[in-house]
Amino acid sequence: MSQSLLSLTIQWVLHLLTLLLLPPLIPGLINKVKAVLAGRSGPPVFQLYYDLAKLARKRAVFSRTTTWVFLAGPIGTVAAGLVAGLMVPFGHTGTPLAFEGDVILFAYLFGLARFLTVLSALDTGSSFEGMGAAREVAFSALAEPALFLGFAALAKASSSLSLSTMLLGAGVGSGRIAGPLILVLVGWAIVFLTENARIPVDDPNTHLELTMIHEVMVLDHSGRPLALVLYGASLKLLVLGALLLDPLLPRAPQAWQNWLGFWVGLGVLAVAVGLVESMTARFRMTKVPQFLIAGILASAFAFLLLLV
Amino acid sequence: MLDVALILIAACSWIAAALLSLNPRSDERWSRWLGIIGSILASASAVHVLASGAISRLEFPFWRGAARLEMDGLSAAFLLPLHLVAGLGVVYGKAYWPLNLPKGAGRSLRFQYGLLVAAMSMLFVARHGLLFLLAWELMAISAFLLIATDHETPEVRRASWVYLVSTHTGTALLTAMVILLAHRNGGLLWLPLPAGNSPGLDAWILLLAIAGFSFKAGLLPLHFWLPSAHASAPSHVSAILSAVMLKTGIYGILRVSALLPSIPWGFGSALLALGALSAVYGVGNALAQRDYKRLLAYSSIENLGIIAMGVGLGLSGRANHDPWLVALGFGGAIFHVWNHAIFKSLLFFGAGSILHATGTRDMEALGGLASRMPRTALLMFPAVLAVSALPPFNAFLSEWFLYRGIFSSLTRGYPWSAAMALVALAFTGGLAAAAFAKFYGILFLGSPRSPVAEHAHDPPRAMLLPMAALACLSLGTGLAGVLLLPCLDRVVAVVAPGSAAMLALGLRADMRLLVGAEALLLVCGLLAFLWWRRSGSSPMSEGPRPPTWDCGYAVAVPRAEYSGSSFSDAWAPLQLGLKARIRPITAIFPNPAVFRSEFRDVVGEMILGPRMERLAVRLLRFRGLQPGYLSIYILYVLLALLGAFLWMFLRGRLLG
Repeated sequence: MSQSLLSLTIQWVLHLLTLLLLPPLIPGLINKVKAVLAGRSGPPVFQLYYDLAKLARKRAVFSRTTTWVFLAGPIGTVAAGLVAGLMVPFGHTGTPLAFEGDVILFAYLFGLARFLTVLSALDTGSSFEGMGAAREVAFSALAEPALFLGFAALAKASSSLSLSTMLLGAGVGSGRIAGPLILVLVGWAIVFLTENARIPVDDPNTHLELTMIHEVMVLDHSGRPLALVLYGASLKLLVLGALLLDPLLPRAPQAWQNWLGFWVGLGVLAVAVGLVESMTARFRMTKVPQFLIAGILASAFAFLLLLV
Repeated sequence: MLDVALILIAACSWIAAALLSLNPRSDERWSRWLGIIGSILASASAVHVLASGAISRLEFPFWRGAARLEMDGLSAAFLLPLHLVAGLGVVYGKAYWPLNLPKGAGRSLRFQYGLLVAAMSMLFVARHGLLFLLAWELMAISAFLLIATDHETPEVRRASWVYLVSTHTGTALLTAMVILLAHRNGGLLWLPLPAGNSPGLDAWILLLAIAGFSFKAGLLPLHFWLPSAHASAPSHVSAILSAVMLKTGIYGILRVSALLPSIPWGFGSALLALGALSAVYGVGNALAQRDYKRLLAYSSIENLGIIAMGVGLGLSGRANHDPWLVALGFGGAIFHVWNHAIFKSLLFFGAGSILHATGTRDMEALGGLASRMPRTALLMFPAVLAVSALPPFNAFLSEWFLYRGIFSSLTRGYPWSAAMALVALAFTGGLAAAAFAKFYGILFLGSPRSPVAEHAHDPPRAMLLPMAALACLSLGTGLAGVLLLPCLDRVVAVVAPGSAAMLALGLRADMRLLVGAEALLLVCGLLAFLWWRRSGSSPMSEGPRPPTWDCGYAVAVPRAEYSGSSFSDAWAPLQLGLKARIRPITAIFPNPAVFRSEFRDVVGEMILGPRMERLAVRLLRFRGLQPGYLSIYILYVLLALLGAFLWMFLRGRLLG
């Protein structure tokens, strides 16, 4: 009993540490991969940690049009990301918070973060930020059905509505679901790229405000609020990345192997995102909805395959 | 007995309040207090019934038989939001529409308001066909007069007439339903029907009920009266219309279906699909609105669609004898009825405050109200989060019920309708967030787009207090939803006779964790906020603040701000009624650009409107029958009487 309690505590502590400390590493890895492929040396892998430390010491500037709503975006993003991170399993390592129906809370927490970000963008009164907000809302409303249809497929396969069972349950590894699972993961990969504002949907490094989606919404943030925005974005990479990784990770007999597997998987995912970003250009804005509808269709087919 | 008596007293007290407000010499305070006391009594009775599950009835002789008033869980579930919103609305209305306004409509407004509340109170306890129809009609007429309060405007007159005609079409269907029900039951009393050998008749009863009640509930395609009626009514009346009167349609469907011994096949899935369509249609059109009260009205169509989805799930659960689906579907529907009543009345009160302060319903003329009406902005914030079904506010919980119901129906073999409902619900959630980001962002945030918005101010305390109460309820229900599970179980037991109490048993553990997660969310938010505060850079502490970073453009004008129409432009394909005209650029040095857009409801104004006008022209042929001479009309009466006598004499001979 004490043994299992101890291991449970270790699991929880590791989960919390991974959730709190690991996220800024992922954008660093992605950027390093992109730099290496482009033949540059690039910023250090830990650059985002340095940035966050610097921003935490800086004074924030607030425009005269903004109100308290301006702060709700950064704060909400981080809070929602942390709670969502407690519900998603990091590989086969157990989840601190799991209950039937947590998958719906998980999806709506991202909705909350997005809603608050959009409001804080509109709070500045800048037309560029309004434009970004409108695009973000439009694209994410298309990403939502893809996410939900994927959940529906996995719920049907595992007869459960809890993320940890759905993503890692006994049914998920079996042969019958292999085909649908691939389709779900394709759909979710599109959701992952959209929600995290990566190429080919959005370019995090773009310098023209007219073409931005996510970046333009946070133009006015500075100091600690900007630190929260950047941290929240990396948190989203980790949490949605875990969603994508979990069904792929094999179950290992030892807990440490499972943890190692997850961390390595996360690294591989970051490298993969870097590769995609190096090899493709971003779509024209009008093509993005088609890309998202492809994601919906992939998830929908997966779901249909499980119904028949 | 006691509970029904309390409801009767409450109804009488509202009628007394209504009559008192007609008397020009009486103090307005008395009638207001009478109404509030009535609401408190009725709410106490409703809470008692919900908490104990007791059923109390009152029988009395009525029209060659017995009539019955009965108070059970289902009645209480609708009476509670009615009296909550009615009581708060009376407080709000005091400052919103003062009695001594030059227009002089204040007295009739208060009179009709009291009548409407009393009629709806009776409606929810009546268990007699004729009594129900009487209350229904009184409700419809007083609502018509309330909508027409501002009757000097042609637009308002038109909206109220459209409402009157459609509600009476619905009443005609309901009368047919009541007659069929009386035929099936052998009396006008509404008792649970015995299992009969004519399932066809039951199906007709349910079909007529759904069709007739859909007029009131605003389900597609019978929603066309709703947006303009809700936009035209005074805001606290819009609140009660949207928060409660629309729900009388849902109540009717639930009540009639509860009388039937079994649910005919297919009704559940059909209602589920209809609800899903209404939800997507409502929210898609909400996005297209420039008038913020119309936006709220379309969002009511969306929410009634969501409630209908729950009812559909519950009905298909009853048809398939699946208690878990019954509990989740009906429970989710009832829970959403409560939640929608809370946040939608809050939204309409807030919209009323904006209208009060600025005098315009055009979103594109407003903006920047958050710094000019800070209290209203703060109180509206929970409402927009709740209406977008975001945690930790109340509507998230009821949608969570529905999602669970849909998922469980997926795994139990009714996948097609459930799959459609799932996609519709997820999509509706995303679109509702878009519509209300537009609502809040364009109204409250940014900089003001016109002088009226520049000089807006917070409303008086009498208008803010009801809003504060509703905002607290919205968050409180979101965090304490677990406590409501047993009450929901009691309501479900009435809606689906013979079903076991499943919700408290099956959901309590999950919901505790869910609420825990929501509390954690608030704690994380608070910690992040405190971390920011520690940096010492408060926006208030500084001296003059810089303008917004607009790519270095320092003199941004409000005209260049992103407008509501451009915000929702990406959804043009879904905004069926939106027609935009842009003058194409033809020359190298183009003419001044022009962009116009107008919105017309597809069903009401594009399809039905022109046809109705043509019909009206054709019916002019019969105008000759109405010459305007009293003697001719007396002749008609005589002829009709003669015809009736002849029929009575000849009937026996003709039919053998």
